[in-house]
Amino acid sequence: MYQYTSFDRQFVRQRAAQFRDQLERNLAGELTDDDFRPLRLQNGWYIQRHAPMLRVAVPYGELSSRQLRQLARIGRELDRGVGHFTTRQNIQYNWIPLPRSADAMDLLADVDMHGIQTSGNCIRNITSDVFAGIAPDEIVDPRPYCEILRQWSSLHPEFAFLPRKFKIAVSGTVEDRAAIAWHDVGLQLLKNESGDVGFKVYVGGGMGRTPVIGTVVNAFVPWQEILVYLEAIVRVYNRFGRRDNAYKARIKILVKAEGQKFIDAVNAEFAKILENDAGGREHIIPVSELERVARNFEMPAGVRPATSGFDPNRTGPAPTAFLRWMERNVHGHKVPGYRAVSLSLKRVGQAPGDVTSSQMEAAATIADRYSLGELRVSHEQNLVLPWVREADLFSVWHAAKEAGFATPNIGLLTDMIACPGGDFCALANARSIPVAASIMERFDDLDSLYDLGELDLHISGCMNSCGHHHTGHIGILGVDKDGAEWYQVSIGGSDGTQLSGQAVPGKVIGPSFSAEEVPDVVEALVDVYRRDRAPGERFIDTARRLGIAPFRTAADAVRHETAALTPAPRTRAVDLAETAEAL
Amino acid sequence: MSGVGMLFIQPAQDPWRPQVGEFGPTPVPSIAPHSLLTLEQWRAVRDSWPADVPVGVTLANTVDVEDLAADLPRLALVALQFPKWVDGRAYSQARTLRARLRYAGEVRATGDVVVDILPLLARTGFDAVQLRDGQSEASARRALTLVTHFYQGDVREPRPLFSRAFA
Repeated sequence: MYQYTSFDRQFVRQRAAQFRDQLERNLAGELTDDDFRPLRLQNGWYIQRHAPMLRVAVPYGELSSRQLRQLARIGRELDRGVGHFTTRQNIQYNWIPLPRSADAMDLLADVDMHGIQTSGNCIRNITSDVFAGIAPDEIVDPRPYCEILRQWSSLHPEFAFLPRKFKIAVSGTVEDRAAIAWHDVGLQLLKNESGDVGFKVYVGGGMGRTPVIGTVVNAFVPWQEILVYLEAIVRVYNRFGRRDNAYKARIKILVKAEGQKFIDAVNAEFAKILENDAGGREHIIPVSELERVARNFEMPAGVRPATSGFDPNRTGPAPTAFLRWMERNVHGHKVPGYRAVSLSLKRVGQAPGDVTSSQMEAAATIADRYSLGELRVSHEQNLVLPWVREADLFSVWHAAKEAGFATPNIGLLTDMIACPGGDFCALANARSIPVAASIMERFDDLDSLYDLGELDLHISGCMNSCGHHHTGHIGILGVDKDGAEWYQVSIGGSDGTQLSGQAVPGKVIGPSFSAEEVPDVVEALVDVYRRDRAPGERFIDTARRLGIAPFRTAADAVRHETAALTPAPRTRAVDLAETAEAL
Repeated sequence: MSGVGMLFIQPAQDPWRPQVGEFGPTPVPSIAPHSLLTLEQWRAVRDSWPADVPVGVTLANTVDVEDLAADLPRLALVALQFPKWVDGRAYSQARTLRARLRYAGEVRATGDVVVDILPLLARTGFDAVQLRDGQSEASARRALTLVTHFYQGDVREPRPLFSRAFA
């Protein structure tokens, strides 16, 4: 993984000192709360329901065991001993008092971490494929490019105050595990006919109240020119994106409104930068720089390729639980003799993506012992061990089980994505955690869960869509009706993976439900699948084939509280999610 | 980065004056040195404005500065506006003025200009600021010193880190 240089360290230290200066001026009354707000947001600090929330950047999801231990320490010493991994591969804390915020930044800087641009109307933390660099289907390792993009976007002077937040995701595989079409900019690494590496560039995807799939604005930008091309895109957005209405300020609205004119403007700007601007060609990336950065991502020294073909039954019949874990939580690897292993953060009794400080330390220990000290944070809010030897799988399973990470449910219904919701988030219309918990309990039976097969269930507590409800095969959205919490259910969404099909938002199946009804509704929906599935069909396939009608009928049949109610749900107008971890 | 090259405007000593009458900007301003004109005023007089009388324009942040390419050699000052300091459009205007149009006159930040945006202003090509009332010049000067080196190139240093350090 990327190793900080002395430059990187100084940069993060200076940024932490700058934040401390701002905090002190705020506490002294020189810097008003209103003026401090956008500044602290761009360092990851947001005032939440109970206390400030801190969002720490985990660039493209790569984390060392040393960093994870420090995150555990921050949790223990400054928070209430718990962190929450998000869909954008970051980690959030909910209980750190603002006067201690500068101390938190110093502790992060000690392990080359920060909260730079994890909130605010700027270019946010770059996300990528959780299996970057180890995926068997990889075309190009996206991480060196992600790191170059991270550096380019960090404290970019022209693009610090855009109309709205701006999110970039990069994928280097055939399978899109980074939901790139749902981002403000999605970058697909590929090779052209002559074998040159470049990017297919999507612009204007996003969730929120207007879900939009990104438009391809360029089928192949040579990798050397990607920073210049992004500069052109973001400049056009900075100049022309709407600022009169925060709900229409994302680049997706500009792209939709202007269509080809937007693409023409970007291409014209790109040409002008290269041809006219003083220093306009300076951001063309030299091969030497790519090679310098890429050296950080070479295979770790401890990797010893071996003959692949792990037989779990080699010393007699393996326990069923181990086989299930192998099936769900162990993934392919490009290096023979190695596997990637998911540590599931989806289990009864804890909110999806939540980890205690003790659990973080346990994960760090497992990573040190079995994964060369490296971990990844997945878009689905789990941890991944990227360098597990096949020979160690049984030991890793035991260690994961002991630490509570071995729920064999990756990709299944209970591996649900959920935002923190109304329990923590000041923006939420409704709580997510109790709904997630009730579903988790309802589908606790593994046989039943396995019978249902792969199923993406996503829960957002409000329209800001941090829980990506639009992309769930089953999506659940918290809405507010007359001050009460209700849940709108949709069917058939896709993040753009091969399993889920082309990226598309799900369709709402009717008036919203009460919290108590939600587990019954989910059960009714999967019962339709059980009843009507064709051989080999997964839930999403059946949902596509049947359309929403039978699901709606089944869901309506289990209404008890809402049977007589049919008013349209309304999303409460809230202060916009400057910080929402939504797309 | 430092405060060197950044002029902090003291309104009392500032020679630049708008030409404003009872009903707003004078439609056809009179020829006077250090007139800071609106774009409309400038358009009304540019054909007759003498070359030796210093003149500046103040631009809304929605103006495409490339439309002024032909006028720039005659303008001693371009004042860009921050209606709210979190509205970042003027950064793109300033950078385009400097990097694309090679404008060498004064680029001044006006409006809701606060201490903490000084680094952004300096890096996108502003060389003068008129701080919002009540903002501390000392804090603003200090804000320019807190982060000293950056990854990406800017107007002051067009080379990104990868061209400076590892070339």
